[in-house]
Amino acid sequence: MEAGSHETAHDMKFLYDALGDIGSALGKRRIWFALASEDISDQHRRTSLGPFWLLINYLVFVATFVFIMGRGEGIPNYTAYVALGLLVWFYIMETMNSGVGLFVREESFIKGTTLPLSLYVFRMTMQALMRAGYAALGCAVLLAVSGVDLSWSWLWSAAAIALIVFVTPAAIMIFAFLGAYFPDSQFIVQNLTRVGMFLTPVFWAHTSQTALSVRGIFYYWNPFTYFLEIVRVPILSGDAPLRSFALCIAISGAAWLLALFLLGRLRRQVVFML
Amino acid sequence: MVSIRAENLTLTYRLRRRLSLARNTMPLPHGGRIEGTGRTQHVRALEGVSFALEAGDRLGLIGGNGAGKTTLLKTLYGIFEPTGGAVDVRGRTDALFNINLGFRREATGRRNIVLRGLINGWTDEQISARMDDIVAFSELGDFIDMPMKAYSQGMAARLAFSVATSLEPEILLMDEWIGAGDPEFQAKARKRMNEMAEKAGIIVLASHNHQLLRRICNKVLKLDHGKVEHFGPAEEYFAGEKEDQ
Repeated sequence: MEAGSHETAHDMKFLYDALGDIGSALGKRRIWFALASEDISDQHRRTSLGPFWLLINYLVFVATFVFIMGRGEGIPNYTAYVALGLLVWFYIMETMNSGVGLFVREESFIKGTTLPLSLYVFRMTMQALMRAGYAALGCAVLLAVSGVDLSWSWLWSAAAIALIVFVTPAAIMIFAFLGAYFPDSQFIVQNLTRVGMFLTPVFWAHTSQTALSVRGIFYYWNPFTYFLEIVRVPILSGDAPLRSFALCIAISGAAWLLALFLLGRLRRQVVFML
Repeated sequence: MVSIRAENLTLTYRLRRRLSLARNTMPLPHGGRIEGTGRTQHVRALEGVSFALEAGDRLGLIGGNGAGKTTLLKTLYGIFEPTGGAVDVRGRTDALFNINLGFRREATGRRNIVLRGLINGWTDEQISARMDDIVAFSELGDFIDMPMKAYSQGMAARLAFSVATSLEPEILLMDEWIGAGDPEFQAKARKRMNEMAEKAGIIVLASHNHQLLRRICNKVLKLDHGKVEHFGPAEEYFAGEKEDQ
């Protein structure tokens, strides 16, 4: 009896450790906020347009897809479709790509300070959000120009974005541990995200109802589809994509559980892996 | 009351074969003894290390390369978690391991002081209170508002030194005594280090410089392959060392 309860306490220790790490990082938010802003301005220092290059890059991508792919797809308001799709996809792609190298990049900090690991994760989350902010500016302009009507259903999209932001630290954490324990994953993830842009309905749609066509498979069996759709569908069609939403909440919950488990278990070991 | 107590402190970590498509990507061990063969190898970085320090103690850590000095310092600081035994450190602890860590080339000296201060856990009030002193001590003048990449190596070293030594730790952990700059600045730096050392309740200093340790320390801990070879008063140890020669 006693041994059993002791075991449970031991099993739950990872959760306690992980939450302690996250709590400590949240208390040090001034640090990751300051470092994230430095990161953004460092990346664009000495350029005349600065971080607005992020906006231009985004607009060029949307324009390319609209002009090259914009015909014959049968998607109403293709500009808005691609604008929203790319906004979310670029964010997902960047988070995965930079997340996988996070702990490796922060090696000297991890080996030289006692800052909590979550601090690096939050710093990267902040950085990804700031970068996405510039693309979001472009997206807002494109939505206005393409003639989408503002409606209450946009609140669903706002909730979807909030959910994506909420799951970001968990995703970065998982990828950061993956990159630390499996160095080759950096290249695998890079490849996957590049291919993923075409395998995910960023600029194409699955219009027929059959789930067994090639497109159908990549549409239905791709978790990213649902994260794109919960942002896109309410704005474009005014519907509330309840099923996709439920699925995304479930995925996010699972991601956080996995992230907490990894953080609690590997927090102290990762320093020996770098 | 500041104190450090280590009891039977052991640090072993597994040299994991990282999952990788390439061969030989094992992380380099930090020192210590490599045990086992084949798939599971362990590094025994510290083994059964016990000692106790009270306020006023200055401990010199000695031992060859890979004896475990840095590992012990990092374990006391909390970067490494001991796998066996117990360590109890009481008091506000600061470490001077890599004083150049976290300085950003693109940011100005002043901004770097703020960033470094935040990383050290200073409050805004502490940062602004120490700012003038750090700027003055570094002798950077107008360069303090220039990006750090415009600094000479000596200037950057002076800034790093000035920030690092404006700490007011109760326990100070040091991997080698630090100094910086041209001969004139070095004299100033020595004075500043002595002042900081005097204020600290406990110092643990790892160094190969026995003359320095003799001057500063009252206790000595000699490590060899992660084990304590000797722990005792410094005078006694260095007297014995002299006789050997």
